[in-house]
Amino acid sequence: MERGKFKVLLALVLILFSATLLVSSNASAADVIKLGFIADVSGIGAPFYKSQKAGLDMFIEEINAAGGIKGKKLELVVRDSQLKPDIGANQARELILSEKCEFLIGPTSSAVALAATKVAKEFKKIIFFHTSNAEALTTTAFQPYMFQVVPNTGIEGRGMAVVLSKKPFKKYSLIGPDYAYGHDQLNSFKSEMAKRRPDVVILDTVWVKLGESNFSTFIPTLMAKKPEAIDAAFWGGQLSAFIKQAKPYGVFKEAPVSSLFDLDMLRATGSDMPEGLTGYARAPFYAIDTPQMKAFVKKYYEKYKEWPADWAIMAYDGMIALTEAMKKADSTESEQMVKVLGGLKFNSLRGERYIRAEDHMANVGIYSGVTAKSPDFKEFLIMKDVQAVPAEEVWLSVEEVKKLQSEQK
Amino acid sequence: MTWQLFVFMLINGLCQGMLLFIIASGLSLVFGVLRVINFAHGSLYMIGAFLAYSLSTVLAGESLLGFLILLMVVPPAIALIGFVLEVSLFRRVYRQEHLLQLLLTYALVLILDDLVRVIWGGEPRSVTRPELLAGSVDIFGMALPSYNVFILLVGPLIALGLWFLLYRTRTGNIIRAAVSYPDTLGALGVNVSWVMTSTFMLGCWLAGFGGVLTAGLSNIDLGMGMQTIIECFAVVVIGGLGSVGGALLGSLIIGTGLTFFQLPLGRWALVFPYALMALVLVVRPWGFFGKPER
Repeated sequence: MERGKFKVLLALVLILFSATLLVSSNASAADVIKLGFIADVSGIGAPFYKSQKAGLDMFIEEINAAGGIKGKKLELVVRDSQLKPDIGANQARELILSEKCEFLIGPTSSAVALAATKVAKEFKKIIFFHTSNAEALTTTAFQPYMFQVVPNTGIEGRGMAVVLSKKPFKKYSLIGPDYAYGHDQLNSFKSEMAKRRPDVVILDTVWVKLGESNFSTFIPTLMAKKPEAIDAAFWGGQLSAFIKQAKPYGVFKEAPVSSLFDLDMLRATGSDMPEGLTGYARAPFYAIDTPQMKAFVKKYYEKYKEWPADWAIMAYDGMIALTEAMKKADSTESEQMVKVLGGLKFNSLRGERYIRAEDHMANVGIYSGVTAKSPDFKEFLIMKDVQAVPAEEVWLSVEEVKKLQSEQK
Repeated sequence: MTWQLFVFMLINGLCQGMLLFIIASGLSLVFGVLRVINFAHGSLYMIGAFLAYSLSTVLAGESLLGFLILLMVVPPAIALIGFVLEVSLFRRVYRQEHLLQLLLTYALVLILDDLVRVIWGGEPRSVTRPELLAGSVDIFGMALPSYNVFILLVGPLIALGLWFLLYRTRTGNIIRAAVSYPDTLGALGVNVSWVMTSTFMLGCWLAGFGGVLTAGLSNIDLGMGMQTIIECFAVVVIGGLGSVGGALLGSLIIGTGLTFFQLPLGRWALVFPYALMALVLVVRPWGFFGKPER
């Protein structure tokens, strides 16, 4: 190497090195508790992120106004993991090491969550999942520093099978995103449906890459075998794109589609959303009748001038559980808090809930209903005749959980 | 498979192919004349889609006229961006080695993609289809979205237009001459740098046109440029770099292939374009209609 070039290179290395030193030296203020949010900010998860952030911000604002936790204020640090597990894992590390975050908050994508939970385990930092919900997080990838306040893929898949098994349809086609979430969801649906309705046939399962929003090559295949009903494991932007494109392909004339009808998706789909589809939501504000929820919805609407989506509610609930653990442990040390997580009771917006000791899964179920127009909400459809499917009815038994956990990789 | 379903799938696949052709032909054309593989082609296509989105919110309304305005206004805007890029950047690297060109266009991808992130944010968007194209067309009792039929009709028009331009006009003669004999062309007194600028602009125009069509077809988001540029590479490798006819053939093969293989192969259908690309690279590295490098 020439001398000149070498000097330039050396200078560059020095600059970079001192830059990293600067970054790490100014990040150790003692009067704040930092929460690292590994978020799927961009892509099909973007609307979810906005809602999650709004819910978290509101909680943090409230608790800081009330004096914080043990005199320390909470502070949120956000990183965009772009739905990519490798990026998410790196950012989880960065949040812990250079941002000095004491707690982690999970993302939207289950694939990213599975990567992030490993990092949390490695550094013994508590992480909670409010949106990403692979059942594996509580079974084969279980680690005690995590807890989940969102109905997991098993609860959802089996829950929808419970709901749909009461319908007359015999021939189903399934479609979903080709990654952990979609597979878990549809596999749970299939196995529960087989138990409850042996006469039901699954004609075909169509897998679509996560994030793909052009369904032109998939919808003809989905309909080719003439299903009577369709269960779709999409979510968010991908689901609303699917519904919008399915309409001119005449899908809804042939078969109703069931899926996750959360508020953000219903808002994004607007008047393109067909009426009379059976689906479910994780935390529909309009159907949960608790005083906490009523107060929350009112405050949220005043602050943001829009209704809170499921994601805002569950992120908020996650913070309730996290701070409850701090109170119960009388500490903000994760080592102390992890001891009280199992069995922790917390007063969520969805009502009294607890975290099951064996898998740190909160007993949160799903809410199923039928899409309909509502005079109260002009811009979007909601679900009517909402029925709660409690977690206890469909979650894995403690024996099943233990068996899966013992197979941990 | 019944023959009705076969025909339906074929038409559906051709729609996909046509959209891909509109984008890939621009990439191929630019390579043919400029000998630069423009990685940023996908980013320009994405900017076209987002511009269409922004403009559609201003135009407000689901009239066919509004949509036609998008198709008239956005592609020239992208061509204008192309003009600036060609004059300020691309012109400097034509005689450089491929690695340098690659670095330049890849840097452009990063810059343009971040620009889109800054301006439009990470949220997926879409353009509401005009009412006239929002319904469906009946094909043997199966519904095909009218919008897809629209793409199927526009695609050949573009192909025909390109063919006419390249083979029936003086400009086309010069462009084709620039592909085969750039030095002779300069010696004959033709302003070669002008030919290059305008070809680059035409390529960008096509990217913009594809962007507008995509905005009405599916969601548009930050990842769309990268995803499409990779598919376009498969198309031009199969069809032959620099050949517009090759791009048409490659696009139609991939479009119909993806539709048909979905049924028997499921998730593995995604592999098809790349498997075919690999096969072509082994058997006929210059593609169906390309010429071996001299």
